[in-house]
Amino acid sequence: MNSEVQRVVITLPASADFVDIVRLNLYGIASKMGFSYEEIEDMKVAVSEACNNSVLYAYGQEGGMVEVSFEVNNNQLSISVKDEGASFEGTTRSGNSVTLHDKELNDVEIGGLGFYLMEALMDDVTIQNQSGRGTQVIMKKRLMKSEETV
Amino acid sequence: MNTNKNEKFNATTESGENKTTVFLSGELDLSVAPDFRLVMEPLVGNSDLDLFINLKDLKYIDSTGIGILLSILKARHGMNARFVVDEVPPQIQKLFDMTGIAKFFAPSENSQ
Repeated sequence: MNSEVQRVVITLPASADFVDIVRLNLYGIASKMGFSYEEIEDMKVAVSEACNNSVLYAYGQEGGMVEVSFEVNNNQLSISVKDEGASFEGTTRSGNSVTLHDKELNDVEIGGLGFYLMEALMDDVTIQNQSGRGTQVIMKKRLMKSEETV
Repeated sequence: MNTNKNEKFNATTESGENKTTVFLSGELDLSVAPDFRLVMEPLVGNSDLDLFINLKDLKYIDSTGIGILLSILKARHGMNARFVVDEVPPQIQKLFDMTGIAKFFAPSENSQ
């Protein structure tokens, strides 16, 4: 097997109706690489959260596109979700990742769960917020090969 | 394999004498969040009925879905009305545990 990076890129409307298409593509690529059912489910959640973020915050009423790219390395899948929205303040999007663990029901708020899930479910998450040039989230998951023949 | 199936979200309501159960199936994500809210809205406000949500056939949930469950929890809690989330599949339970919402779903048989 060569160690070249292989890329699959899809561009979709930044609409909630297309996030399931990203999940389907992810499923295909990740299962082909040999990820387990559970790992794929984890990645589905993380990638969908990144897409949701672009769908919700990148563009105003006019809409726009989201580019999702899957980079397949020998033992790693790197997924990038990129929009070209007006990445304003950054507080709403790249804000704190939050859990509810130490909160009372009356104090909990919903925002931040998506980011928390991305970070918790992937091996590595980077968020790049360039003002005026959109947001790119890059997530990585390593493939843990269980004693397979080379 | 069942994971590959792109299942459309569906919510079916079953009304009993003093409880309502909503059975969810398919994928509960951002795209169907408005549909889910619409189904739940009239039920959440009725404190005379216990409200159950059954997740047995739910294949997927995102933070939007978790957020809606959380807002239902808060509303029911505020009304002192019973709300139970039942038969949570392992993959979804994992997300509930990770986010910390699980502790609010903990079975509370005497919450009536």
